[in-house]
Amino acid sequence: MPEVHVQIDGRELTVPHTFTVLQAAERAGIGVPKLCAHPALAPIGACRICLVEIEKQRVLQPACTFPVSEGMVVHTNSPKVRDARRFVLELLFSERNHFCMFCEMSGSCELQSLAYEYGLDHWEYDRAFPRLGVDASRKFFVMDHNRCILCRRCIRACDSLVGNQTLGIKNRGAQSMIVADMDVPFGQSSCVSCGTCLQVCPTGALFDRASAYMGATEEITRVKSRCVGCSVGCGVEWIIRQNRLIRIEGDWDAKPNNGLLCEMGRFAPLHETRQRVRTPLVKSANGFEETDWDHAASMVADKIKAAGDKLAVVVSGFATTEAAQAIVTGLPGHKSLADGAAPAGAGACLSVLDEADLYIVVNTDVAKLFPVASFAIKRGMRSRGARLIILDDAETSLDGWAACKYESTAVAKAVELAAGAQMPAIVYGAAGASVAAQMAKALPTSKTVAFAPGGNTLGLAGAGITAAAPRKDARCFYVMANEMAQPSSDLLTALAQADFVAVQACFREPWQSIADVILPTPTTYEKSGTITNAEGRTLALQAGTQPDAKSEVAVIQLISSLTS
Amino acid sequence: MFEPVLLKRTGLPRSETIGVYVENGGYQALRKALECSPAELIDLVKRSKLRGRGGAGFPAGLKWGFMPQGNADNCLCVNTDEGEPGTFKDRVLVEKDPHQVIEGVIIAAYAVGAQRAYVYIRGEFFLGVKRWIKAIADAHEHGYLGRNILGSDFSLDLTVHRGAGAYICGEETAMINSLEGRRGEPRLKPPYPAQAGYQGRPTLVHNVETLANVPHIVLRGAEWFASIGTEKSTGPKVFCVSGHVFRRGTYELPLGTPLREIIEEHAGGVPGGRRIKAVIPGGASTPLLTEDQLDVPMDFESLAAAGSALGTGAIVVMDERTCMVDVARRTARFFAHESCGKCAPCRLGSVAAWRILEGIEAGEGQEGDIERLYALCDGIAGHTFCPMGDAQVAPLRSALDRFGDEFRAHIAMGRCPNAA
Repeated sequence: MPEVHVQIDGRELTVPHTFTVLQAAERAGIGVPKLCAHPALAPIGACRICLVEIEKQRVLQPACTFPVSEGMVVHTNSPKVRDARRFVLELLFSERNHFCMFCEMSGSCELQSLAYEYGLDHWEYDRAFPRLGVDASRKFFVMDHNRCILCRRCIRACDSLVGNQTLGIKNRGAQSMIVADMDVPFGQSSCVSCGTCLQVCPTGALFDRASAYMGATEEITRVKSRCVGCSVGCGVEWIIRQNRLIRIEGDWDAKPNNGLLCEMGRFAPLHETRQRVRTPLVKSANGFEETDWDHAASMVADKIKAAGDKLAVVVSGFATTEAAQAIVTGLPGHKSLADGAAPAGAGACLSVLDEADLYIVVNTDVAKLFPVASFAIKRGMRSRGARLIILDDAETSLDGWAACKYESTAVAKAVELAAGAQMPAIVYGAAGASVAAQMAKALPTSKTVAFAPGGNTLGLAGAGITAAAPRKDARCFYVMANEMAQPSSDLLTALAQADFVAVQACFREPWQSIADVILPTPTTYEKSGTITNAEGRTLALQAGTQPDAKSEVAVIQLISSLTS
Repeated sequence: MFEPVLLKRTGLPRSETIGVYVENGGYQALRKALECSPAELIDLVKRSKLRGRGGAGFPAGLKWGFMPQGNADNCLCVNTDEGEPGTFKDRVLVEKDPHQVIEGVIIAAYAVGAQRAYVYIRGEFFLGVKRWIKAIADAHEHGYLGRNILGSDFSLDLTVHRGAGAYICGEETAMINSLEGRRGEPRLKPPYPAQAGYQGRPTLVHNVETLANVPHIVLRGAEWFASIGTEKSTGPKVFCVSGHVFRRGTYELPLGTPLREIIEEHAGGVPGGRRIKAVIPGGASTPLLTEDQLDVPMDFESLAAAGSALGTGAIVVMDERTCMVDVARRTARFFAHESCGKCAPCRLGSVAAWRILEGIEAGEGQEGDIERLYALCDGIAGHTFCPMGDAQVAPLRSALDRFGDEFRAHIAMGRCPNAA
């Protein structure tokens, strides 16, 4: 790539010619303030806080949009520049309600920290004091228009990253307001509550209900890990304060999600209402009774020994690969996957979704089961004009987006429609595997994207657990359920007929009433280990908080030591 | 006496009809243009030194030359979003003589190889919209638009699109956004419209008056056109005179006509023999001129030298009774109302200035208000996303510079010193 030489604040740099001044400055470690610019979003040059002085330019130019050129000389912190930035800040503070001490983002706010940097100690211009609405109609986060600076990061994130285009602006000038769809409450809009807007908001205009007032930037630590909710395996950051998870954010540097998360991944762990299993529980006449590890583990070990080859171990997709390895080496009996086996063809890179010009979704409700993958599909449709064909007998959440929808067996019709496409992507889960295979055969240029049913199905399979269902004659069950909400009906039937059922779970669930012993286990943000996502990528989990339960592996090893 | 070129036919009965237009020499230039090559036409317009009449005064021939040659995607947009306060020239041209503009559109489209042209017209121009639609339909019927115009290989379609009443849509990229059905907000440049405009296609955007000049240049030659006006500002210009004069209206005169001549001879001077206090020479976004500057020739260079700009040629005359704080207040209110809201300095600065001026006008002016207004001028000018920042600062700063005493008197007295 051709490079150009620029000088920023006296430092000579060589940068690619496609860079903006802001990118060049950031590469050199020179901080340029920004409010509307965001690394994940295309710059629009709206807030004018990143104005810099460029020699031979008549006026100050925004660093975020101004391209570098050979021999350019830039001053990012001259008195002229500082005056212009201070002016913009004075105006922004006079626009709406920016009384920081009453704001939940105080201490983590980009506007506030700029005000400190530029020494804003009074209001130069009259405040307008508009009384604007606070929209709390969304379940997990709130929009306070009074704190909004109209930087439009949320709008661009919703449009270019999530592909949802829920957000927009109504009115113009100083009356501009962020709105959803045709100015309906956010909770009734087409919003999918993925929270990407929340993550990019520079002020307290969008704030998270769970973490509001819970910890400012200086008080928190960030731990990079993974979500195990589905087989996309999104990179997350656990936001931790005093050994407590207060918020989950998408990891901008992580593949395949690039910072995006879905409603479940971002909010569900913080709004958990199920009762946590904290100590081992043993069934008695009055329900479950707390007991100690020695008693519970020896009881499970005795039953396992007695069951012999009638033991079935069932592992959910939430378990780590390390736990699966411990099970395979430490426990006897037949081992199976609680969510079923991965479809053939799993392992393709999800980046295919960002290149395809046609999506064929077979028998899978992608938007519901693998939401972050559906964002890539929507993004492709919005930005590249890709089309969507759905083959499904049931209703799916993407039906409204599809160019056409057929029954799941209509391979011939879909192939005919896909004939002109340069690169069709066939998206399917376990249920659509056979149809997808036929499609892939008929469309030689196509690529497939297959999703495993559980978060770590491929990792478990790699460790040696491949069976889709427990053996029929099993009398004793050991179920590693973790966060699993509801087992399949086949598994429930088998459990009901068993003589002894041990469940290792994070939370109490009604179905666990058939268990004889319930053992605690850490949740995803409490454990470390590895998983393998639908792409076949091995990803590391890192504990955000110190678990108050024995690790998955330790429990298996304890039982294993008692059985041998 | 200068013989009108652009407004020549506007006095005729039913001047908007195609029959009257053709009877009076209409569509002759088109026949002539279609015999030339596009390159010859571009050269012709370059030699005529025609400059854009929308406000910025960019050389039209140069603009045509920026369009990629032989690109079938090229399109042309006619900017009829005449929003500059004091301006009403495009309205006259469109309502009274739409075929003259259409002929200019066809020739320009032929020269740049555009096969699609769009008219973006102010939604409030109800009659203008009707006349455009009728004129386009008639031109189609007579073979001046559509497939193989006048038997040539050249085809052109022209469509009318109504705006929703935003000043900012006079800015070319905001107009293109609005034409596409998006918010009327300026786009990042580059890419310029000539590279990627309407729906990403190379787009030539012209003001109505600019295009109206084109048939005459083709018919009568670049040298004739260049002989009108001054060395660098050539051709006739429709001046819109309003305010405190006897005969408000449109006057077509060569560029370079002295401002005093336009006001006193053509518009009949100020009623009651009152003195002129200030003149806006080119629409609300141009700096004010004072009485001592009335001899300035109305062309791009002379007005720039006088510290103002030709803009759209909208002359607003204010006599000695006018309150300049009120003028500044109304102008500031206009810009606060018309800011699109995209960039912070314009969205907020315009409102801040307007609020201060409202305060001064209401007798609640405070010490430091004038300094604050100057600080706003400094903070907004050059720092906004589009030229609207400079547009709102120009009248305010010139009012402060030239009538600062009046502002100070307002603040000190708590009322207008001009009021009885």
